Amino acid sequence: MGKSTMSPDEAAEAARSWLSDHWHGTDDAAWHDALLSAGWAAPTWPADTYGRGLSREAARAAADEFRAAGAPGGFLDLASFHEHPWLHLLGNPLLAFGSAEIKEYFLPRLLNGEVSVGCLLYSEPGAGSDLAGVQTRAELDGDTYVVNGQKIWTTGGHQAKYGLLLARTDWDVPKHAGLSFFVIDMQQPGIEVRPIRQITGDTEFNEVFLTDARVPAAWMIGAPGQGWKALQIALAAERTGMGSMSSSMSGTAIKTGLRDAADDLVEAARRAGRLDDPQTRQEIVRIMSWRLTNAWTGRRAAAEIKRGPSSLASLGKLAMSRILHAGADFTYRMQGEESLVYDYDNPLACPVDRDLMFAFINSIGGGSDQIQRNIISERVLGLPKGYEPDKGVPFRDVRKGAATRSVSQA
Amino acid sequence: MIREFTEEQDELRTTVRKFLSDHSDETEVRRLMDTEQGYDPEVWQTMAAQLGLQGIAIPEEYGGQGFGWPELGIVLEEMGRALLCAPFFSSVVLAANTLLASEDTDAKQRFLPGIADGSVIATLAFPRPGTPLRVKAEQADGGWRLTGTAPLVTDAHVAQLLLVAADTGDGLGLFAVEAGTDGLRTTLRPTLDQTRKLADVELTGAAATPLGEPGNGAKTLARALDLAAVGLAAEQVGGAQAALDMGVEYMKVRVQFGQPIGAFQALKHMAADALVEVETARSAAYYALFAAEDDSDELPVAASLAAAYCTDAFVSTAHQNIQFHGGMGFTWEIPAHLYFKRARSSQLLLGEPEYHRAQVAERLGF
Repeated sequence: MGKSTMSPDEAAEAARSWLSDHWHGTDDAAWHDALLSAGWAAPTWPADTYGRGLSREAARAAADEFRAAGAPGGFLDLASFHEHPWLHLLGNPLLAFGSAEIKEYFLPRLLNGEVSVGCLLYSEPGAGSDLAGVQTRAELDGDTYVVNGQKIWTTGGHQAKYGLLLARTDWDVPKHAGLSFFVIDMQQPGIEVRPIRQITGDTEFNEVFLTDARVPAAWMIGAPGQGWKALQIALAAERTGMGSMSSSMSGTAIKTGLRDAADDLVEAARRAGRLDDPQTRQEIVRIMSWRLTNAWTGRRAAAEIKRGPSSLASLGKLAMSRILHAGADFTYRMQGEESLVYDYDNPLACPVDRDLMFAFINSIGGGSDQIQRNIISERVLGLPKGYEPDKGVPFRDVRKGAATRSVSQA
Repeated sequence: MIREFTEEQDELRTTVRKFLSDHSDETEVRRLMDTEQGYDPEVWQTMAAQLGLQGIAIPEEYGGQGFGWPELGIVLEEMGRALLCAPFFSSVVLAANTLLASEDTDAKQRFLPGIADGSVIATLAFPRPGTPLRVKAEQADGGWRLTGTAPLVTDAHVAQLLLVAADTGDGLGLFAVEAGTDGLRTTLRPTLDQTRKLADVELTGAAATPLGEPGNGAKTLARALDLAAVGLAAEQVGGAQAALDMGVEYMKVRVQFGQPIGAFQALKHMAADALVEVETARSAAYYALFAAEDDSDELPVAASLAAAYCTDAFVSTAHQNIQFHGGMGFTWEIPAHLYFKRARSSQLLLGEPEYHRAQVAERLGF
C-alpha cells in the first residue's frame, strides 16, 4: 500500500503537470499546504502518509522539475541527514511503527518545520554500552505513562521541544523485550536538564532527570515492548548521518586526497623544525596512510551499499579512532610547549589540545571501540557471542549497572 | 581513483580461484615447496594455455591478452591467497614490467611473447634498497660482459632469462642474460619461505645484451619496481585475507573453558582489528592498481604507500593467525607458518616498509 511503481520519467511528467496547476511563483503558506497535501514535501513517503510512494530515483527526477520551475520547499526527504535530522530521527521510526494517530500529529509538523529540534533520551548512567539495560521506567496511569529515571549524553536538551525516549514498560521479560519508545514533550515540570561539562571545557551534552514526567500513551511509537526495534530505525538514521561526516569531531577538516592528506601533519612538523627527522617522517606517513586507506575503504563501502548490505561500512568508525587519536597526539607533540596552554573559557582558540580530547568522542560515543570490535567480530566475521549472564532472564532479576555519581553541573 | 571491479573482472577472480583450488591446494603447496624447482611445469603450462594468466597484462602486440592492472591484481591476490608456488611474480611482474618499462622495442618483441605464453621464465636481479650493486658491466669485443654477484634473486635457478642491473661505470644499466650463457652460475639457497625460491647469481664475464641504452636503466628499474610493489601488495592482501580467514575458522571450532575460543573478547578484538588491517590494506592495493592502470602521476606515491601498508598488514595478520592457533600454530602440520613465512619473505623482497614510507614522504615532496 502506498508504494508507487512510477518511473523517473513518469514522476517528472506528474511533477510538471502538478506544477502547472499549482505553482504561481509565490512561496507562501498556501503553497506549503499544497505541497504537503499533494505529497511533494516528502514524495518517497507512502502515498497514504503525506508522500507519493516514489522511489528515490523517481523523486529525484521530479525534484529536477521543481528546481527548473524555481518552486521551493519540496523533497525534504531527499535532503541529507544533517539538513533535517528530525525528519529522519523521528520520521523514520514513525513511518515504520507509528500508529495512525501519532503519525497524523507529527508527520505534518515535521514537514512544515514546526518540529525540527529535538533531543535523544537513550543512554543512562547505568546503560551505556549495554543500552538495552535502561532502567528509566514508564508506568501506565489511565491514558498516560508516568516516567521516572535519568538519561545522559543528551544534546540540545534545553532547546528541544520534543525528546525521543527509550523507557522500560515491563520488568518481567528479558531486557530487550520490555522496552518501549516514545515521543515526549520536553517542556514540562517533570523534566530537568542539567549541562555536563566535558573534559574540553565545552558543554554540549546534558543529564536529563525525569520525575513523574508524563507522556500520552498515544505517543508511543510502536506497541509496548517494541521499543528496541523502533529505536534501531532511529539509530540507523543517526549512524548513516555520522558515517557521512568528513571532519574530525571538533570540526577540523580531514583531507583525503593522496597529495594533501598529510598537509596538517607536515605543517606541524615543519613548524617544529622536525620535518627532516626520519622518525617523524615515518610517523607522518603512517597516520596519512591510515587516513587515506580508511577514506578509500569508505568509498568501497559506499559502492557495496548500492548493491546490498556492506560489511565494510562497519569498519570505518573503528578505523577512525586511531586516525583521530594518533593525528591529535602527533600535532600536540609537534606544537611543543605551546600545547601546555589551554583556555577553558575559549576552547576553540586551542584547536590542537581540543582535538586531543575530542578524539575520545569517536572512540567512545556511538558504541565504543570495544563494542565495535564485538559487533565486527560477531556480525562480520561470524565469531560466537560471549557469555551473556542476562540472556533470557527477566530484567527484574538481572544485575544492573548504576550511576557512580552525577556528572552534571547543578 | 579507486573504482569498482567490473562483472568480467569478478568472473576472472572466480575462474582463477577455482583453478588455484584445483591446482594449488595445501598438499600441492607442501609438495612443491619441498622441490628444488619450486613449481609444477605442467600446471605452469596449463595456466598459460587455458587461462593465459602469464600474459594477462602483456599487450596483445607482444603476445599477451592485453588486459591491465586490475586483472593482474586480481590474479596476484588469488595467488597470494593460495600461496601458489610458481615463478609468476618473477616472470610476469618483475621481468615483464622491466621489459615494458624499457624503451627497447626489440627486447620486448624478443622476450615478451615467451613470457606471455609461459614458455620462458624470466626474473630480475636488482640491488634491494640499502644493498650495494655488485655487478659490473664492461664492453669487450663489441659486446657487453657482466661480472659480479646478485644475491637472492627470485627463481633465478629456473629462469631462462635474467634481466640484470649492472654498474656500467656511467650509470646503472639493465642487461638481458640468457640461461646457459658461459660465465652465468645460479645457486639455489635454502630459504625461510620455501614457497618462494631464491638463488644467488654469479656472473664472470657473462655475455649480456643491453636493455635500452646502457647506463640509462635507473629510470626503467625504478618504474618496474614501483609496478612490482603494486603487484606484491595485491599478493600480500590475498595472503593476509587467507591468514585471517584461517584464524577465524579455527576460533569457531577450538573449544576451551567450555566454549569456542572465538567467544573470548581478547581474541575476537584481535580478529576485528585484523579485519580492519586487511580491508584497509586491500583499499591501498586497489588504489595503487588503478593508479597503475591509469598510468596516473600518483603511481609512485600510491605504490610506495601500498608497499609499506600491505606489507605491515600481511605480517601482522599472519603473525596473529599463529597466535590464534596457540600451540597448533607452532606445528609444521598446521599451515599457519606457511603464511607467516610468505609474509616475512615479502616484507624484505622489495625493501622493508620503513624504506617505502620514506619514499612516500620524499615523493610527496616533504
